[in-house]
Amino acid sequence: MSESAVKKTEAPETAVLELHKKFLEGGQAKASLRAINQAGIERFKLLKFPHKKHEMYTFVNTNELAGTSFELATDSPVDTAWVQSQVYPSCKNSVAVFVNGAFQENLSDLSGLGDTFKMQCLSEADDEVKQTLLDCLEDENDVFAAINSAFVHHGALIDIPAKAVFESPVQLLYISTGSASTPATSHPRLVVRLGETAELKMIVAYAGTRENYFVNAVNDFIIKDGAGVNYTQVQKDDAESWHCSKTRVQLHRDARFYGRNGSSGSRLTRHHYEMRLKEEGAELHLSGASVLANQDQVHNFIRIHHEAPHCNSDQLFKNVIDDKGRSSIDGTVIVNKGAQLTNSDQLINNLMLSDEAHSDNKPNLMIFADDVKCTHGTTVGQINEDQLFYLKTRGLSSELAKSLLTTSFVSSLIQTIPFPDVVADLNDILLKKLEAKHA
Amino acid sequence: MSLLEIKDLHAGFDTTEIVKGVTLTINAGEVHAIMGPNGSGKSTLSKVLAGHPSYEVTQGSITYNGQNLLEMDAEERALAGVFLGFQYPVEIPGVNNAEFLRMAYNAKLVKQGKDEVDPLDFDEILDEKMKMVGMDKKYKDRFLNEGFSGGEKKKNEILQMAVLDPKLTILDETDSGLDIDALKEVAQGVNKLTSENNALIMITHYQRLLNYIEPQFVHVFSGGKIVKSGGKELAHELEAQGYDWVTAPAK
Repeated sequence: MSESAVKKTEAPETAVLELHKKFLEGGQAKASLRAINQAGIERFKLLKFPHKKHEMYTFVNTNELAGTSFELATDSPVDTAWVQSQVYPSCKNSVAVFVNGAFQENLSDLSGLGDTFKMQCLSEADDEVKQTLLDCLEDENDVFAAINSAFVHHGALIDIPAKAVFESPVQLLYISTGSASTPATSHPRLVVRLGETAELKMIVAYAGTRENYFVNAVNDFIIKDGAGVNYTQVQKDDAESWHCSKTRVQLHRDARFYGRNGSSGSRLTRHHYEMRLKEEGAELHLSGASVLANQDQVHNFIRIHHEAPHCNSDQLFKNVIDDKGRSSIDGTVIVNKGAQLTNSDQLINNLMLSDEAHSDNKPNLMIFADDVKCTHGTTVGQINEDQLFYLKTRGLSSELAKSLLTTSFVSSLIQTIPFPDVVADLNDILLKKLEAKHA
Repeated sequence: MSLLEIKDLHAGFDTTEIVKGVTLTINAGEVHAIMGPNGSGKSTLSKVLAGHPSYEVTQGSITYNGQNLLEMDAEERALAGVFLGFQYPVEIPGVNNAEFLRMAYNAKLVKQGKDEVDPLDFDEILDEKMKMVGMDKKYKDRFLNEGFSGGEKKKNEILQMAVLDPKLTILDETDSGLDIDALKEVAQGVNKLTSENNALIMITHYQRLLNYIEPQFVHVFSGGKIVKSGGKELAHELEAQGYDWVTAPAK
């Protein structure tokens, strides 16, 4: 191997290590999170950036992302009016705004949630939370999540006491400002802990004000007995950005997590779900809709671990792919030995609108128990001819019928989101993208 | 001029000929029933009339209102007043039923050179039509046919017929899968919509629908052809004796 080739393969990791050194010396790092930073970078050294044949990254090419040298994004001024436009009207008094991962008190308003809603900096978290984060790193297999831990310094902890119930949703708005000169990266971290029988509704939205940034988020949910989270993630980053987000959920006895995702894609958008149904009666719903055009890419990596009996999980993903868009889903449900009477469903539907659209799907089941009901399936298709004919026999033109069928394909999923503001926003972003294409 | 004139029609799917020489004339104000055993080509005839792209006409002609129907696309036929009530109405999740009906209604208005109606005005029209066909208002906000029972799907077809007010309606096995109560309701809806100015073709396997919608003409379909035509009494004979006595000579 020539010297230059060696340099090339080593370069991406070296850039991260150097950035980390700068981060620790530069004063951004918090002493109380130092152990997590250290464990994170050690994990990164072990995992390294994925090579082409890495099983976890078969469907996504991370070379461009790994090969880009990023600076850590710093606090930058943002246009307040624009920020306000990104706040959902129903969350005016229940919104927390983060710019490049850092909480912005002047742009946030959590007054509508009352005193029981507590959000603090992760650096002030108790030992249980910190230990959980350290424990997670021991078997962390997602290199980007390891990088997040290596750089975590202004994460947020939302700690919901037992029995607290929040009727209206809280919005967490993550804004990336990018940088005019060099590509910038931020590592938002969120930990949400719900005490017994608590209930929380939450919308997490990612948006950018300029191109050329990498937002690398990790969201951890610890949901205690009988508690429930209704969660919707909106990914509307700039098309010329990279987005990685890991959602890790631990469900205890009879706990619930209803997660939905609407994604508009980017150069690379990767959602990593690690869901553990740890105790009896836990329930998980996970769904995602994406509309991809131009060269947009979205990858969903899903691992659902059924670790106890009598748990239910279901997944529904719908992707509309036009132009040279790429969608991929690698989803596995693992039913542990002893997790009897598990019910699990998984369905992935793809609608292809162009000859160059690309879709990879790998639904997978690993079952080690002998009394379970599990289904999985994938469809990849074009517009349904029977539906098209039906609409035409009612006098709708071909163009109108096709556009109606395309939008209805994803809107049937978007409509199930329990927050009308989000439904309207996603209809606006995702469906307009299609309309613009076919106008 | 007759509303519909089918002359020596041959049509099929891929290379298989299914309709093998049908000649039939229908005038405004008439109700025709086409009966026949399963697989005789009745449904193919309905799809050819509606303009399904998968079926190919190899011989013969269809003239509708003086125009060559075979040269028209499915949506042109619909806008010209041809309506097919589907045997199996298609479910379209994500498309709101009321919005879909308004789109169809507006497409027709635009074709007639009129202004479109807005959702509020259409809502009034829709309420009236739903009352006419005995359909619960809750189906307005449901996704098109998704999760509807068999009876509600067929009622929704009749609702579309009521909204679009076609000149020529073909009901393909509208009675199949319906219990007697649903059948009566659907038939009542259809009866309110038939008039001197429009025509109806009912395609059915059973005689019981004809107890509620009375045809003036009954045609027996077998082997892709009409093998016997008569008045409504023919339907009773078919019910009593089965299809064998009419279809046997054709084989």
